[in-house]
Amino acid sequence: MIQAAFNSFLAALLMIPAATLFCRRDSRMRRLSSLLLLLVLLVGAFVAGVSFWRGDRLALDLSWVTPFPFALTVDRLSAFFLLIICAVGAPVALFSISYVERHYSGSKADWMWALLPLFVLSMAIVVTASTAFAFLFGWELMTLFSAGLILIDGDSERRLHNIFIYLLMMHAGAAAVIASFFLFLPHAAGLDFASMRVAAASMPVGLRTAIFLLSFVGFGTKAGIVPFHLWLPKAHPIAPSPVSALMSAVMLKTAIYGFVRFTFDILGGGPTWWGYLVLLAGAVTGLLGILYALTEHDLKRLLAYSSVENIGVIYLGLGAALVFMANNAPAWAAVALAAALLHALNHSLFKSLLFLGAGAVADATHTLDVELLGGLLKRMRVTGTVFLIGCCSIIGLPLFNGFAGEWILFRSFIAGAEIPGISCAIVLPLMAGVLALIGGIAASCFAKLYGVAFLGRPRSLEAEQATEVATSMQVSMALLAAACVALGILPGIVLSPLMALAGELLHTQALSDAVFPITHTLPLIAVCVGAVLIVVAGVRRIRRISPTWACGLPALNSRMQYSSAAFSKPLRKVFSRVYEADRTVDVEYAQEPYFPKSIVYRSVRTTSFEKSLYQPAVDAIVGVAARLRRLQTGNMQVYLLYIFLALIALLVFMRFA
Amino acid sequence: MNLAIDLMQVLLLIAIAPLVRGVNARLKVWMQNRRGASVWRPYVDLLKLFRKEDMVPDTASPLFRLAPVILFAATVTAAALVPVLHASALFGVGGDFILLVYLLAIGRFFLMLGAMDGGSSFGGLGASREALVSALAEAPMLLALTSVAILTHTISLPGIVLATVVQNPLHLSPVYVFAFGAMVLVAIAETGRIPVDNPSTHLELTMIHEAMVLEYSGPSLALIEWASAVKLTLIMALLAGVFAPWGMATSASIGAMALAPVAFVLKLAVLTIAIAVIESSMAKLRMYLVPDFLGMASALAILAVAFTALMR
Repeated sequence: MIQAAFNSFLAALLMIPAATLFCRRDSRMRRLSSLLLLLVLLVGAFVAGVSFWRGDRLALDLSWVTPFPFALTVDRLSAFFLLIICAVGAPVALFSISYVERHYSGSKADWMWALLPLFVLSMAIVVTASTAFAFLFGWELMTLFSAGLILIDGDSERRLHNIFIYLLMMHAGAAAVIASFFLFLPHAAGLDFASMRVAAASMPVGLRTAIFLLSFVGFGTKAGIVPFHLWLPKAHPIAPSPVSALMSAVMLKTAIYGFVRFTFDILGGGPTWWGYLVLLAGAVTGLLGILYALTEHDLKRLLAYSSVENIGVIYLGLGAALVFMANNAPAWAAVALAAALLHALNHSLFKSLLFLGAGAVADATHTLDVELLGGLLKRMRVTGTVFLIGCCSIIGLPLFNGFAGEWILFRSFIAGAEIPGISCAIVLPLMAGVLALIGGIAASCFAKLYGVAFLGRPRSLEAEQATEVATSMQVSMALLAAACVALGILPGIVLSPLMALAGELLHTQALSDAVFPITHTLPLIAVCVGAVLIVVAGVRRIRRISPTWACGLPALNSRMQYSSAAFSKPLRKVFSRVYEADRTVDVEYAQEPYFPKSIVYRSVRTTSFEKSLYQPAVDAIVGVAARLRRLQTGNMQVYLLYIFLALIALLVFMRFA
Repeated sequence: MNLAIDLMQVLLLIAIAPLVRGVNARLKVWMQNRRGASVWRPYVDLLKLFRKEDMVPDTASPLFRLAPVILFAATVTAAALVPVLHASALFGVGGDFILLVYLLAIGRFFLMLGAMDGGSSFGGLGASREALVSALAEAPMLLALTSVAILTHTISLPGIVLATVVQNPLHLSPVYVFAFGAMVLVAIAETGRIPVDNPSTHLELTMIHEAMVLEYSGPSLALIEWASAVKLTLIMALLAGVFAPWGMATSASIGAMALAPVAFVLKLAVLTIAIAVIESSMAKLRMYLVPDFLGMASALAILAVAFTALMR
């Protein structure tokens, strides 16, 4: 039954786009396909959920259709990520119904409903693939379909440039992934995961290391770890909001899936330094991600950088798991891995909620610039409330879903002190400090975002005239917010199967639930906070509305409020080393030095990676290419000479090889 | 029986919090050779504020009035995690220091939002500064407590107390010294005392917490003031419980329970006097020296964690 549901889930995702594109410019057809997509995603979530909680295995072999072995298998790990895709996809699809109706018409809307199912399908293929071919097939399609979805919003030169960088980096990453697959070839019987797993056990150390490093770079590029994160804040914000939600919340997780599948399942862990490398990547990614997010004033760019940060947190968990595995503590490795996966699920829930919220804000105010918003909670009660829940979740406040994952991560870092090796016993507990610092800065960042965008006075006419968005958009966001709160109070629902999953993956007996008293404490905390809230809210408070005290001036206006830039200034000053802003001040004087006619102040933050890592690389490639151009003279005789030289070289090679 | 004791501990902490403030203010006044108000003054102030009107800025959203309630609820819940007289807490072994730190973060986050909702520049100013201090204070606090948790092999606060109380105070690991140093610095920053913040200032150049609550009045202000008093007392109780738990009751026997309040009051008195001395003898740090101050706390906390591994 479940197997049939899975097969029809995949088939339907393929049929919807075909039907949509067949009946073009038909709004009833679009409506039908959007509802179908919603239904299909619910079926998918059901299939994945059953398989995840019960541990059923599903399989689908399509090798008879394709020239390469193409097989899909759903084990617990795949089911978990399939669950993320479908459970987030369904509210996003619901949100898209009104969003697409309001923003696109004609062929644009057709393409939206055609590409969305295909995008979901490609991600589903990636997380269920059990052969290299199927995996890479899905992997490439995922990039292309998402790029197609970004293009729907327009193809100005700037956008094309950003999409170009996205595609370029994705293909560089894919090349590394492909290379890591091919490195198995001499040892593995075939390029399916089962025989790769067998082969990995008997491979020489050097080869294993090469495979690990390649997959680290390849999947890291897709996940957006620093310094491969460059594409993320360029590509995510320019997509339509539901697509941004899918890209940030779901697509990044496929990279986590790939990394877990490769490193934990197929390679079965490695030496301690693998763990250290991943921990370092996680710490740097988390800290820089949130520090960059702090300075952003564009709602979606800020959220994109915050995705970078959360990927860093997930990598911290994966790194800790690798360190535990290398030091004969598989039970704690399972805990750290479960924490990373739990955070992946949580991030996909609250990040999709926040991106949809950003979409709703853009829908109501036509801007994403935080400095032009303000006072939205008063005008958009539902959007404002669910966005607040998203913010509370993302900074890991207790009773919201971000907390449980971070708590378990803290717990496993502290357990690192039990490892006999002295370096591990110092490094792992110190990572708790890194995580706390990331959390602290994230709290400031989202206090700024919510305070400036949703509270206080409106900073523009658009914000002042904002009204609540369509009901289906509200419902979709409310569903995600409800999931955030439910998992925040009862994290045990997903934690127990996740522990089972991590135990299966690492072939170890999972630690008992006693390690996580938090799963029992959180409901009690909820009751306690709730009880005090009710009691205190019952205190008689006579309200009188009056204007804010303006120090005797006539009235305050919105320009007198703290702006987003001003709010983050103290932290930016503390971490000024990280930002390296290029500042120029041009003053034109009417009369030196006292009376300036005009002052132009420019401050551009080029991330130092663009300047010091990518620009030199691009310059070097362009330089080499320019030099190589001299070979192309356009002269026929010279080309004949090349062919002749090549022939000689080949003959010499054949003679001696 | 134990449940009754645990419940009583929480209520005690909430009830005496304003008194701690009053005593502290009185001590400061005495050191500065002035005549001050009675130590019961904070209670009278709270009572007065609860009877007054709640002035709400016309631009504010419902969050403005919700924020103090959430702050109070989260702080009270955090107080239920800390062992005070008896080495147990309302949430039992499930009450760990990570939860404590993050429960305090709830209140801080909502207070920052409430401040931003006022729509004046003072609220944003205070929230922005609070964001700086809290972002940098969380890591040393967690690391310092982590080092103690590593030594005692438990993360639950009652567990830490039970493991420390049986040790000879003179043979304590030096890790405790570093962790205590870090925790004291963080506690000063967290509770907004000199040299990080000045609770009695109303000068926009210096204020942090006071700027955030500037728009609040009446019952809302009372809740905020009470919550911050509870926070001060609970952090004192945490310092006393984790680093000097001797005297705390480990069983519910009459003798132990009779000694415990005496020991607790003594420890509280020492800490209150220490705060009063620091606040009377030091000037507030410049805003941008606060990160250095917290950097010192972080360095101490990192040393504490490193020493747990080096001294095994």
